[in-house]
Amino acid sequence: MRLYEHEAKRVFAKRGLRVPESLGLLYKGCGELDVPAEVLDGGPVMVKAQVLTGGRGKAGGVAKASTPEELNAAVARILDLRIKGFPVEAVLVERAASYRGACYLGVTTDPRTAGLVLIASAAGGVDIEEVARNRPEAILKLPVAGNPAELPAADAERAGAFLAEGLGEPDLAPALADAASRLFAAFQAHDCKVLEINPLLVTDEGLLAADAKMVIDDNALYRQARLLDELGIRSKRHDVAEPTANERRAAKAGFFYVDLHPEDWKPEPGQVVVGLVPGGAGYGIFSIDEVRNVGDRFFDGRVVPFNFMDSGGGPTLARVAEMFHLLMDDPRVDLVITSRFGGISSCDTFIRGLVRALRERHADGRRVVRVHGRMVGTDLPAARAFLESAMRETPEALARLDITVGNRQIMAEVIKEGLRRHFEEVGA
Amino acid sequence: MTTLPIADGMLAWLVRERRPDLARRIAETGRIETAVIGLGRQGTRHAGLMREFGTTVTAAVSPEAGLKVVHETIPVYPTVAAMLAEHPDIAAVSIWKHFSTAKYAALECIEAGIPIVVLISEGMPVRDVRDVLVAAREKGTLLLGPNTPGIIFPPERVKVGMLPDVFHPAEPEPERFTAEGVTICSRSGAILYHMSDALASAGIAQNAVIGVGGDSAIGTPFPDLVPMVMDFPGTDLVVVAGEIGGIAEELLAEAIRAHPERFPKPIVALISGRYAPEGKTMGHAGAIVSPGADWGTWESKRRALEAAGVTVVNNQWDLIEAVRDKLGGRTYFRAEDYYRRMAERWDAPPPVKRWTTRITKVEPDNLVVRGVPLVDLVAERRFAEVVGLIVDGRFPEDPSALDRVAVEAAKLPVPPVPLRDGDDPSKQLAAILLADEALAAFEGSRAERVAFALGRSAAAFGRIFGHELGEAGTLGELLVRAMAGERAAEAAVARVLEACVVASVDHGVTPPSAQATILSATVRPAYEVAVASGVMAITDVHGGAGARAAEFFLECRDRAEAEGIDLEVAAERIILERSIAGERVEGMGHRVHKRDPRRDVLWRLADEAGVSGACVRASHVVERAFRIARGMSLPVNVDGVIGAIVADMGLDPRVAKAAFVLGRIAGLSAHYFEEIDTQPQMRRVDFSRAVYTG
Ligand SMILES: CC(C)(COP(=O)(O)OP(=O)(O)OC[C@H]1O[C@@H](n2cnc3c(N)ncnc32)[C@H](O)[C@@H]1OP(=O)(O)O)[C@@H](O)C(=O)NCCC(=O)NCCS
Repeated sequence: MRLYEHEAKRVFAKRGLRVPESLGLLYKGCGELDVPAEVLDGGPVMVKAQVLTGGRGKAGGVAKASTPEELNAAVARILDLRIKGFPVEAVLVERAASYRGACYLGVTTDPRTAGLVLIASAAGGVDIEEVARNRPEAILKLPVAGNPAELPAADAERAGAFLAEGLGEPDLAPALADAASRLFAAFQAHDCKVLEINPLLVTDEGLLAADAKMVIDDNALYRQARLLDELGIRSKRHDVAEPTANERRAAKAGFFYVDLHPEDWKPEPGQVVVGLVPGGAGYGIFSIDEVRNVGDRFFDGRVVPFNFMDSGGGPTLARVAEMFHLLMDDPRVDLVITSRFGGISSCDTFIRGLVRALRERHADGRRVVRVHGRMVGTDLPAARAFLESAMRETPEALARLDITVGNRQIMAEVIKEGLRRHFEEVGA
Repeated sequence: MTTLPIADGMLAWLVRERRPDLARRIAETGRIETAVIGLGRQGTRHAGLMREFGTTVTAAVSPEAGLKVVHETIPVYPTVAAMLAEHPDIAAVSIWKHFSTAKYAALECIEAGIPIVVLISEGMPVRDVRDVLVAAREKGTLLLGPNTPGIIFPPERVKVGMLPDVFHPAEPEPERFTAEGVTICSRSGAILYHMSDALASAGIAQNAVIGVGGDSAIGTPFPDLVPMVMDFPGTDLVVVAGEIGGIAEELLAEAIRAHPERFPKPIVALISGRYAPEGKTMGHAGAIVSPGADWGTWESKRRALEAAGVTVVNNQWDLIEAVRDKLGGRTYFRAEDYYRRMAERWDAPPPVKRWTTRITKVEPDNLVVRGVPLVDLVAERRFAEVVGLIVDGRFPEDPSALDRVAVEAAKLPVPPVPLRDGDDPSKQLAAILLADEALAAFEGSRAERVAFALGRSAAAFGRIFGHELGEAGTLGELLVRAMAGERAAEAAVARVLEACVVASVDHGVTPPSAQATILSATVRPAYEVAVASGVMAITDVHGGAGARAAEFFLECRDRAEAEGIDLEVAAERIILERSIAGERVEGMGHRVHKRDPRRDVLWRLADEAGVSGACVRASHVVERAFRIARGMSLPVNVDGVIGAIVADMGLDPRVAKAAFVLGRIAGLSAHYFEEIDTQPQMRRVDFSRAVYTG
């Protein structure tokens, strides 16, 4: 989970890394309030968009203001921005610093080895990836052996010396080494995946962390609860976008769900939108591709998968029902493809949940779409017997349910068949 | 079904690289020993499923206090070190610990030198995983996971983890499996079923399926794993199942280009997530595309792998086609056989869940306690010996030690519990046992504990019956004194009453008293609480019939005498009168036995000892009398015989019940210990599902 800059800076401050004086946060909706002119008494300020994505500067999300007019204009303008598709909800106003040098300091996880790397560069304030590509010699990548809680002194000294030399400030080596140590210790203490300062400014008052990026390991959020409390973060936030209504509904029901399209997305005429209730996360991703491929191969590319879902192992009957309800409640979904396969979770619970959802919808007169799928695995005899009797008892409610029992047809063929039936039905 | 010999399979191959010593043991024994670390719901469940599949699950580790075995036969140890001290040949473990504790378990296994560690746990913090990776690299452990479904080897039918039995091995002729086939290495679990399903429908076998783990930080990434499995002679091709996110596939491509000689066999990569949106996590922590990075996307993976000569697919049909193509059209079995085997597996009724008891075998007309016919115990053994046998499973080396414990126990004062006249003696005894501080505080071996409880019970019955216990020499003598008072001095009385006690020692898990004790034991109360629960369930309906039977036989005797008729006729008349009045005749009939084996041996002993009189004679004829009176066949049961003997001895009829209770205390004790030793706490007990395996 990525923190906002202002949150990460509070962590820095607590850990003895100096940050610019914060003058406050302004949220969208309160933007019409004028910022009190007194904040400018201490000198010019920076107005910075608070978004969970990089490249903010290039997108105009950062501005310097010296007068009340500039300040208010900058706040209004930035709050109106969308950066990489995501609206700016808040701006941070902080004291602008005058500085004589800028560098980069970060700790990250090497994706190749999962080991720790300390990264330092005297080229601060610019895109570090770009520096890495164009001037690799300007970057020090220092793998830290093992998994220590504190940066080994030798590594800290090396980073300090490297930066001091690059900045042409030999006297600063100990302070830079100290900053590296503090950053590293914070990274470990807070279970970070990425923690970086870019730029780390050299001012007459010492080093100053002018920006902050902090990504906490999602798996460790449970034990960072105290930090999150301090920052006022009450629930896990999505890394980039806030959850959609469907995603929120699924989270409430206890299963994992992702919309593949923005909330305001509308299918084009002639397209068929396929909701997916697969089994397991891995097949959840794969089935998206499979449906697209079947659509591209046999149906002129008119087939659009709608969602990712992880029904996980052993969902309850009510949860299975909710998975189907959620998809059918969305008017964009034309067809649901589902699969149950394996030795762990029960076919019986699955089919009962599915039938329950269809019967409830039929009884309430809610929209029912075709459900096509396959089930094999644990409890199959009971599941088959239930499905057969359900079909006999409530044929109308289950008129558009077509579940292949057994594995004579692989899922790809079941998907193809489901789509063929759909197109036949809508007469296209 | 002929499976591939373990030593010829890939798992043994993987062990050999790391621990040649263990590989030699595997070749010798024909087994790969594995263990389960963590016995939460999942670990417990899959320990059973792994074993069912064919895996040798030698042991388990769980710190839960008091847990000694899981699935009744797999021994449980508190630590990995304690386990390895007993089972040094364990070559592979699966870890089923919660993400908050998984690190410690994994480090323990790695540091102990176990060569293959499968870390199932999902959701481990990366910082913890890093500790585990550092240790595994140092030790040269083959670490799979975290967040892996495990590994499965279909030809030799071994699995370590949770993968279900859906993968099909090469089957050149029906029911004979060989090592050839395709090896699948995958980041995800559920996708495996659909890959395997696709391949199997084209007759392509899997010789191994290996889940590397769905997280970005994992023990053995593709560049290390793929050459390892390619080395295995049976492997004809490797399917790598990757997905968007992370850099695993790009690193594989890089390794292939740098060291083509390490990748001599064909590879097909199935990469999913081509149409997944950027920046959204898809269930797997690893499966997220980081915006802006030049790796981690479907395109970057496809490009890298294709440049390294790997065919990349993202759907079932293309997978089948690519694999078939690279194998030159080779197949390993008929698809029909695959469909049939799967259908058989899925259509099979779910296995009936049984549990086992090793205490008493109960069959019609046959009772065996710990492997010894109960009739032999009744005829030949002192009660102290029987106590040792039923509690520990073998006769005690020194039964007199148990005698001494019981005799000393009986000397302590009986707690002054108020006893209401007319209350059932079993209720009175239970009340005393529960109030007994000496019993609660006793420390000693299990058999000694039972002997102590019996000594205390003797003291209690002495109080209930108003008998002095005096200086008894043995446990049996002590109990007889409690029941018979001065009459205990008669050798015949002592001999036959002790035999009655032995005859009552146990009747398996179904009598209500045993059920009460076992149910109580599921929640792990103190020993005396569980035993008292069972004792309280011995009422006039169950186990207490002897006292009522004694009264019945006395009535028969008196009636025959008074009316000058023979015993059978007297019995017949009384039975008829009672039947008309709607009263039961106690001591007759049995749920299981037609000829209760305990009956004949007691009759014989009573006759030999010369204690049989009119009541025992009546007990011989009562079955016939009953048939004449009512046209039904009801044999006399052990309660009836004990009642008759007690009546002929001229003792208080309640003594018949006391003999039953005292004998059964030993049996109840054995059930208590068996339950806490072999079953998880708070289990649901289905008494009809128990089988004797002693
Ligand atoms: C490891 C895992 C299987 C354990 O799940 P489980 O067997 O259901 O575990 P339980 O709910 O029985 O117990 C969880 C923990 O809570 C603990 N617990 C429960 N009640 C407790 C209590 N009152 N006090 C203290 N601890 C308690 C248990 O001791 C156990 O701890 P441990 O793991 O440290 O021994 C699970 O956490 C997991 O990771 N599941 C996903 C596995 C997976 O799908 N892998 C990849 C497939 S692709």
